[in-house]
Amino acid sequence: MRFTDLMQLVISNLRRMVGRVVFTALGVVIGTGAIVILISLGAGLQSSLTSSLESFGAINQITVFSGGGGPQGGSDQALDARAIREFQSIPGVEAVTPRVSIGGTYQLNRLQGGATTYGIAPLAADDLGLAVERGTNRLSRGTIVVGPKVAEQFFDPRRPQTEIEPPDLFGQTLLLQLSRFDPETGAQEDRTVRLRVGGVLEETGGETDFNVYMALDDVEELTAWQQNGVSPRWEQEGYPTLIVITQLDPAIVQSVEGQIADQGYFAFSIGSSLQGLNTFFLIVQAALGGIGAIALLVAAIGIGNTMVMSVMERTREIGLMKAVGAHNRDVLTVFVVEAGIIGVLGGIVGVIAGWLLSLIINVVALAYISAQTAAQGGADPGIDRIAYTPLWLVFFAIGFAFLIGLIAGIFPALRAVQLDPVRALKYE
Amino acid sequence: MAFIEVTDISRRFVMGDTVVKALDGVDLQVERGEFLCLMGPSGSGKSTLLNLLGGLDTPTSGLIRVGGDNIAELDENGLADYRRKRVGFIFQSFNLLPTMTALQNVEYPMIFAGLPPAERQQRAAQLLTAVGLGDRLDHKPTELSGGQQQRVAVARSLVNQPDILLGDEPTGNLDTKTGEEILTMLTSLNQGGQTIILVTHDPRVTKHASRTVHMLDGHIVGEE
Ligand SMILES: Nc1ncnc2c1ncn2[C@@H]1O[C@H](COP(=O)(O)OP(=O)(O)OP(=O)(O)O)[C@@H](O)[C@H]1O
Ligand SMILES: [Mg+2]
Repeated sequence: MRFTDLMQLVISNLRRMVGRVVFTALGVVIGTGAIVILISLGAGLQSSLTSSLESFGAINQITVFSGGGGPQGGSDQALDARAIREFQSIPGVEAVTPRVSIGGTYQLNRLQGGATTYGIAPLAADDLGLAVERGTNRLSRGTIVVGPKVAEQFFDPRRPQTEIEPPDLFGQTLLLQLSRFDPETGAQEDRTVRLRVGGVLEETGGETDFNVYMALDDVEELTAWQQNGVSPRWEQEGYPTLIVITQLDPAIVQSVEGQIADQGYFAFSIGSSLQGLNTFFLIVQAALGGIGAIALLVAAIGIGNTMVMSVMERTREIGLMKAVGAHNRDVLTVFVVEAGIIGVLGGIVGVIAGWLLSLIINVVALAYISAQTAAQGGADPGIDRIAYTPLWLVFFAIGFAFLIGLIAGIFPALRAVQLDPVRALKYE
Repeated sequence: MAFIEVTDISRRFVMGDTVVKALDGVDLQVERGEFLCLMGPSGSGKSTLLNLLGGLDTPTSGLIRVGGDNIAELDENGLADYRRKRVGFIFQSFNLLPTMTALQNVEYPMIFAGLPPAERQQRAAQLLTAVGLGDRLDHKPTELSGGQQQRVAVARSLVNQPDILLGDEPTGNLDTKTGEEILTMLTSLNQGGQTIILVTHDPRVTKHASRTVHMLDGHIVGEE
């Protein structure tokens, strides 16, 4: 039997019972639609969470904190010069740089602004992926490099509610206001440091947009002043934080992070959090897909039922097929493919329905979220979709519906094959 | 040796506790080109014998040789091939597919023979023209009279050039005049060399036959 003849026969058979086919396929539509919408929701949440996590920093950077527990513990866990050399010798590590923050507010003419200030090694900016839009990212003493959103944080302290045009910081001299307290009298003493903006960073959408970077030596000196002249001696006694930059490969990030943690440090990276998140969402998607699969299973019973009825009603036709010399294989194929086509039709409509529904969910949910955040005065959460239908899901869902149909058709088709032609031809 | 050699066949049906002997030790020879009639009262085993000859059923015991091959020992696929290549059936109730046109109904057996569509259509149209339905190719069975429907069925039965044409009361649902037309058509086929075996109740059919075999209670009781 030729493939085109098979398809023509199957299609004309299905057209004869179009009403019943529609109702049977409806079950498949619901099952496939449920699979598509539920997995799309899982995938959409995953991609929005992933992108908001990614905005926290580059995925090939591991932040190492001192004072972690670990098997060794104790004072030899200091993030000192020796630790830096150790980390640098781990395979896959490209660079290691200290990162130390210092508090204080900035002033530009009459405007005030806040930003987190980090001291990093003078040449570490490239390793940290801090590219400049204007100026240079090399830090010499007395200069700073600012993130592109730092300017937006400036305001006029006399009219704090009024929106102002963000000042152009490039080339300007900012005044950093620091203060310290006398340990005995508790009296406050202020100091103003003049810093020239030597560069403005490119926008990344991440936290670096809001940071100010300063030479590590400047930060060490200012910290010594804040501690009333006692130098922190970070190189000998350990930095509070080290950034380990690895090759851009999630597996390497994870293995380096593991080796650092094994040495008793507390290490954290966006990369490995993403991996954990991915595993979690794989489970979520499997669970949601499973719910849809159960719906499809119910649909399969519907297909089986329709085909059993169809075999009964077409008993004489099956008898005739056999009388004119159709092989059992032909009879089986016709009925199994009929069931499979019911599955495919339902699958296609189901995928379209599920996809349309996920578009509607996106529009409605995003409108709701932005209304909520606007009402609470929050920033745009940066979520662009709740549901996302990947292409593989489209093919998977349709293929799965086809398979379910084929399987559901096997039992009725076997009944057709087993009919005795003499009795089938006499069947009323 | 005759073209068809039926040797000591029995067909028993087990129904609960009782065993029905539909055929009980039947011997029969049919030569190529014969027009044979099977006559007998209801329940005498005529249809059972015809179905065995057509490979729709297998005997409980005995041999059925057609052109030297014992079809009693064929498996399901072998029987399907036998039915497709060597047998054509006509039924009392026509058994046309109601959704298909006359042309498609005649094409139908050739689909399972795997013939290409162009060849099928040409052959089906030829046969329909030969049975006088050249202008009814696209009519559905409901748009045809009983006699016309049976003519479509005759065309369909000839489509794979069968060695044997089998009919179980093919005129049973037709009035005398149309039945006579069908029989005349079968007679002229027989004159062209076609071997035909018909089951009938109707003594008038036997006029067309070259030989008539009488059956009773699963036995052959005589011939003329
Ligand atoms: N599938 C079956 N199961 C049980 N008994 C059967 C079966 N088919 C036929 N028989 C019995 O076998 C006997 C012969 O039946 P068959 O159909 O061959 O008769 P027939 O000569 O064709 O009769 P009719 O002229 O009424 O068609 C009958 O007694 C019938 O009841
Ligand atoms: Mg009968």
